[in-house]
Amino acid sequence: MEVQELQLTAKDFKSDQEVRWCPGCGDHAVLNAVQKAMAELGIAREQFAVISGIGCSSRFPYYMNTYAFHSIHGRAGAIASGVKTANPSLCVWQITGDGDALAIGGNHFIHEIRRNIDLNLILFNNEIYGLTKGQYSPTTKEGKITKSSPFGTVESPFKPGQLVIGSSGKFFARTLDTNIKHTTQIMIEAATFRGTSVVEVLQNCVIYADKIHAEITDKQFKNERQLFLEHGKPMIFGDNNDKGIILRGMHLEVVEIGKDGVTEADLLVHDAKSENPFIQMMLVNMGLPNFPVAFGVIRAVESATYDQKVERQIRDVQATTKIKCMDDLLRSGSTWEV
Amino acid sequence: MAKELKLMKGNEAFAEAAIRAGSDAYFGYPITPQSEVIEYLMAERPYDRTGMVVLQAESEVAAINMVYGAAASGKHCLTSSSSPGISLKQEGISYIAGAELPCVILNVVRGGPGLGTIQPSQADYFQATKGGGHGDYRLIVLAPASVQEMADFVKEGYELAFKYRTPVMILSDGVIGQMMEKVMMFEQMPRISDAEIAEKYPWATIGKPKSRERNIITSLALKSDEMERHNIHLQAKYKTIEEAEVRVERIRCDDAEYAFVAYGSSARICQKAIEIARAKGIKVGLMRPITLFPFPKKEVELMTQKVKGILSVEMSAGQMVEDVKLAVNGRVPVEHFGRFGGNIPTPDEIVKALEEKIIGG
Repeated sequence: MEVQELQLTAKDFKSDQEVRWCPGCGDHAVLNAVQKAMAELGIAREQFAVISGIGCSSRFPYYMNTYAFHSIHGRAGAIASGVKTANPSLCVWQITGDGDALAIGGNHFIHEIRRNIDLNLILFNNEIYGLTKGQYSPTTKEGKITKSSPFGTVESPFKPGQLVIGSSGKFFARTLDTNIKHTTQIMIEAATFRGTSVVEVLQNCVIYADKIHAEITDKQFKNERQLFLEHGKPMIFGDNNDKGIILRGMHLEVVEIGKDGVTEADLLVHDAKSENPFIQMMLVNMGLPNFPVAFGVIRAVESATYDQKVERQIRDVQATTKIKCMDDLLRSGSTWEV
Repeated sequence: MAKELKLMKGNEAFAEAAIRAGSDAYFGYPITPQSEVIEYLMAERPYDRTGMVVLQAESEVAAINMVYGAAASGKHCLTSSSSPGISLKQEGISYIAGAELPCVILNVVRGGPGLGTIQPSQADYFQATKGGGHGDYRLIVLAPASVQEMADFVKEGYELAFKYRTPVMILSDGVIGQMMEKVMMFEQMPRISDAEIAEKYPWATIGKPKSRERNIITSLALKSDEMERHNIHLQAKYKTIEEAEVRVERIRCDDAEYAFVAYGSSARICQKAIEIARAKGIKVGLMRPITLFPFPKKEVELMTQKVKGILSVEMSAGQMVEDVKLAVNGRVPVEHFGRFGGNIPTPDEIVKALEEKIIGG
């Protein structure tokens, strides 16, 4: 990635296209956050490639004043992998949703993460198929009534973070469309991380799954239900910053600071860089009603990326191979008589 | 459920007919303009009505392979999608055709290529009739031109699919899928029992008691001679289908000096074009292929004894016109008229094309 001294603003990343998401859709906030984040990165606009699949969020490329690609349903991961491996100098952003990435694109999703291709994957999770007008998705909660589950779904939903960690993912963060400041900050952290950075954005679909995340995002109880993680900081939340998370045995537990002799020193300190995903996985799974939902960078483990490894391998093989010309290749041993 | 007259969308009629035709399973994935199929099926609770399974798969690829599995066990099963989703299903369709299994596949065609548009189109004719997937195989392709036929062709599709052990495609389009019309819904047919499957379908993989041969469903034969024999067998089957199963409708052809050849929603629009043309004194009729494979070659060829020219009208850049030309074989002029990319021709445009390309030409 070529870093230049550039003074860009979010406005520089806005295209001249009319944004055609529904009024009140959470996608608008994510678009703003990504544009703000890109302006902070000091990378020229022509060095960005924004790749989407199919879905409401996949209209994203039209609204970006960068090179972009509105591609095939579920295939954004494969296409983004192709863009990045063929053009390692580009800063690649994959825009996808819970249907695009986790249903039809589930295969590509786990494999791009497993390969650790250096790209930023923004997963808009509204727990519904919005573009096809309201059928359940792989993240729709069991029992939810939708157009294709009029009596409630009978399927268990995915948690994207579980898939990321299960696919040997190196970076997973979670943010929410109601907090642009936090979303912008997370986008910057995702972009500066080398490897596949997956950011799950809890996003509201005002038409087909309105208030789907309201129990987490509503102002009245958001402090009690949102835990913002920072690497190296204790896990504190609550209206009065008086609650925290401790590890008791093999389980997480919510405690009140000052009660039963609990002090800040007893709380878990977030370690996003731990190779061992044990606690990170519990943070991914943490949720209502007994726990707050974890936001921020949950896992960020630096490791060689796919393109680094490929480059290294080509260099090593060129340096050590005995095959220097066509004749060497023909005499290299893989011949037999039929 | 008894026979009854209903007002329904084409997609809903297909879904209701799927239940009534005694289907055991439907596997699908939402895509515009046919998401009503899965929504209707889910809302109707067919598992309560008849025990039929309805499953929203994770992709079109998963759905067609679920069909492959259900069909292999002798069940009556179907899937539906629209153009981009049907492209995804092609691998499964080729395997199902190769393995000689019966199923019904609905394509509510939208404009392409690629993501294209969600508006209606007939540009999947080549894909449906000439292969689509790999290898020498054919689908029986039925082209409904009304909501009534969206329902009836499910039943007819199953009959043909099981008669010839081959996948049947219902090639509809966004107009027929989305429009509402009255439809006489046939009465509920029973689902076939496992005992009947064991008796009627010796090819089905349903376990091996002593009374049954061991079955392996496959489309693989690594030895060329064996694979050639399988292909010869398939070709013989397709030839039988071509001889026995052509369906066609002729409208005002008796005194016609010119003819439209059109299927599906284009055939509906041509009927209005005929009225306009005849009011101007142009004697034109319509030949509507109901089966696109087998294509009504002989019927089109016969028509050339009476008409001076033929206009093939399709919502494509010109696909079926190739089959019309092959059947006509140069005896009379054949031209194509089409709107595409999601646009629908008006009757006036069709009459104008007839005047300019055939009568004036």
